[in-house]
Amino acid sequence: MGGSVSKIMGKIFGTKEMRILMLGLDAAGKTTILYKLKLTNQDVTTIPTVGFNVESVTYKNVKFNVWDVGGQDKIRPLWRHYYSGTQGLIFVVDSSDTARMEEARSELHKIINDREMKDALLLVFANKQDVQGRMYLPFLPSESRANQLSSADMSPEDVTQALQLNKLKDKLWYVAPSVATEGTGIFEGLAWLSNNVKTQPQK
Amino acid sequence: MAARDRFGAYADPGLTPLQRAIRNACDLSHYEPNLALNLEVADLINSKKGNAPREAAIEIVHLINSRNQNVALLALALLDICVKNCGYPFHLQISTKEFLNELVRRFPERPAIRPSRVQHRILESIEEWRQTICQTSRYREDLGHIRDMHRLLLYKGYVFPEIRHEDAAVLNPSDNLRSAEEMEEEEREAQSAKLQELIRRGTPADLQEANRLMKVMAGYDNRHKTDYRAKAAEEVAKVQQKAKILEEMLQSHQPGDRVAEGDVFEELASALQSAHPKIQKMCEEESDDPEAVQKLLEINDSIHRTIERYKLVKKGDWEAASQIPKGTLGTTTGVSKNANNELSLIDFDPEPAPNANGNGAVAPTGGNSLENDLLGLSIDEPAPAHGGILLGTAPTTSATPPMPQASTSFRPNYDIFSSMNTSQSPSQSSTPAPGGRPQSIISSPATATPSPALDPFASLVSAGSRQASPLPSGKASNSQPPAGSLLDLMGSEPAPPANSQTKAREEDEWNFASSLPESNALPSMNRVQVLNSTLRIEFMARRHPQQTQQIHLVALFSNGSNQPLSELHFQVAVEKSYILQLRPQSGRDIAPSQANGVQQEMLVDRVPMGKGNAIKMRFRVSYRVGSERKEEQGMVPSLGIA
Repeated sequence: MGGSVSKIMGKIFGTKEMRILMLGLDAAGKTTILYKLKLTNQDVTTIPTVGFNVESVTYKNVKFNVWDVGGQDKIRPLWRHYYSGTQGLIFVVDSSDTARMEEARSELHKIINDREMKDALLLVFANKQDVQGRMYLPFLPSESRANQLSSADMSPEDVTQALQLNKLKDKLWYVAPSVATEGTGIFEGLAWLSNNVKTQPQK
Repeated sequence: MAARDRFGAYADPGLTPLQRAIRNACDLSHYEPNLALNLEVADLINSKKGNAPREAAIEIVHLINSRNQNVALLALALLDICVKNCGYPFHLQISTKEFLNELVRRFPERPAIRPSRVQHRILESIEEWRQTICQTSRYREDLGHIRDMHRLLLYKGYVFPEIRHEDAAVLNPSDNLRSAEEMEEEEREAQSAKLQELIRRGTPADLQEANRLMKVMAGYDNRHKTDYRAKAAEEVAKVQQKAKILEEMLQSHQPGDRVAEGDVFEELASALQSAHPKIQKMCEEESDDPEAVQKLLEINDSIHRTIERYKLVKKGDWEAASQIPKGTLGTTTGVSKNANNELSLIDFDPEPAPNANGNGAVAPTGGNSLENDLLGLSIDEPAPAHGGILLGTAPTTSATPPMPQASTSFRPNYDIFSSMNTSQSPSQSSTPAPGGRPQSIISSPATATPSPALDPFASLVSAGSRQASPLPSGKASNSQPPAGSLLDLMGSEPAPPANSQTKAREEDEWNFASSLPESNALPSMNRVQVLNSTLRIEFMARRHPQQTQQIHLVALFSNGSNQPLSELHFQVAVEKSYILQLRPQSGRDIAPSQANGVQQEMLVDRVPMGKGNAIKMRFRVSYRVGSERKEEQGMVPSLGIA
């Protein structure tokens, strides 16, 4: 009963709650993003996550409950236990790790093809945009050249290509460039999520 | 908007396939529970997993609280089917507070004089769960709320109906034989369900538990990992026990006695029959371990024989039944003097091997004790003069600690026996501890290769081709005419057992013959080498004079390398009929080349006098030398004590 009262209040005053699941290959920067969201102005050092972390972050009147699950291949089979009730998926890729982009693609498609994830929004962080490229890409788009994120191997557009996001039907997705260690781009991503989440989560 | 959400559930498009199936199964149009539809729901839950058990439980309890009594009863029937067919994931859901509170939502504060049919059925269900899954499930500690609810209702004055145990028995775990893989699969499924539930609940304590569980599931935390192969072996042992009982019963069965329907015979035979394909499957799974496959096949054969005999006996065909080679593994009945019984040497055998293995007059126990006796004799005999010469070469030549092998040829079964005890490691040393001399042999560092010092003896051997084998050459040094014939026998043995020629030399054929009549006089103390590699392990076995059933073992660990040895972890297993107690290891590190740097005391209980030599033990040890991690395992050789 109390829950429904607060839900009604939430509707009146516009506070929303969103369950976010953050996945991606190991060492993509998930945990760094999570704690950079939580502890905005502090430096974050992380160790490989064995298990998961969960924090709630309030941003623009939306309370995000962000679940960050370890990305090592041993843990990946356990991701599915976190799907149920998820409204937004944040998939983090290491833009400098071009070698594993294909692996990232296949993992991502596995996730979003799951029945329980079919209604979730998809936000991809093209992370580590600051890491110096090991591969020269001649056609970086001009706007990413304009800001200081331009030195990475793969721009958000390249990531879009590599993950074959254009193939997705009936899916709301967005690729945001980010530098998790500096906190660049991550709140922009959350803003996109909060703007696109359906007003009421499906029960 | 809110209204639409609230009533949206009733609109068909909003339903998931599972919900629709449940609605369908509990539809008013059915006059009685539709088993096909109910099972369909159960299948759907089982195939979808994940959130499905929860979804189903919520939906079903929603229907149980329906105003329409018939719908409620149909839903209760469906619930029963799901509990019985969907296993732990569903049990976990019906034991949540949420579900249980919802289940009794329409119960009045004080029980009515006569409960309604729905209430009666709910009470019955709860009672049934309490008496079955709450007590017998492997994960019963997760189902505590059911008991709490039962207690609460009892406290409020509700009376639970009697339940028929046969009806509820299906909820108990089956005692069918399961292979290692199946057990692992089951465990994984249970862990999955639990993780899902913990994540869903999301309280801090649950999340902590979820994190811990993830580590276990992802294989980072192996501390609590069950050894499923060992468990499977245990299960096989149980089946064998059944085979044994049936075999014994069949033997005591006289011609003319009728095998009644529904008898114990029937039950045992059907249990065996159902185990049959399972064992075959296990053989396939274990295909990388020829030793295990071998054993499984032997067990399989013996079970098969028992079943065949049972069938024939049942038909009354005594003639044919008695033609089947009698005896199953480990039978102690009179059939044991049968060639088919050498099977009893396998690991799983609950009975000490020698009994079932009796090979006419000379039983291996007798043989063993005999040679131990001999060993003692030979030390006291003038022979040491002869042996003393040999001793000088012993430290370099003895491939392994002394092992009484001279009598092998008298006991055709022995080679099987010794090859069962790991073939690569030194198998046996029955040197009595009190003898100071044999001690020096054991502690001799030289192993592996026979050195040139052997040559003088090798040159004595007429057949030069046997030079490489220490045993025949050692034998030949005795050069007695009877030894010659013995030698031939041994040469034809398929597996020349690892042993030392020191022992063989010490053993004079004369000594041998003179000690034959004596038996069952194994020493009460012995020292056995268990492992001889970078890490050396020896067992000091001793019988307490007072504790007749107990054997006291001290494992001594020595470092044979010139690097420090650390993180020593030693594990032992005994057959189930014995009880093993381990005292803590005295340490985990051994300095370079340190002898007996670590020791560990062990007590093996329930070993009757005289069976000390028949205990089969396995060990596993892991340690780190320098930066290298090592793991070794094998059989502990016969302890060589009474």
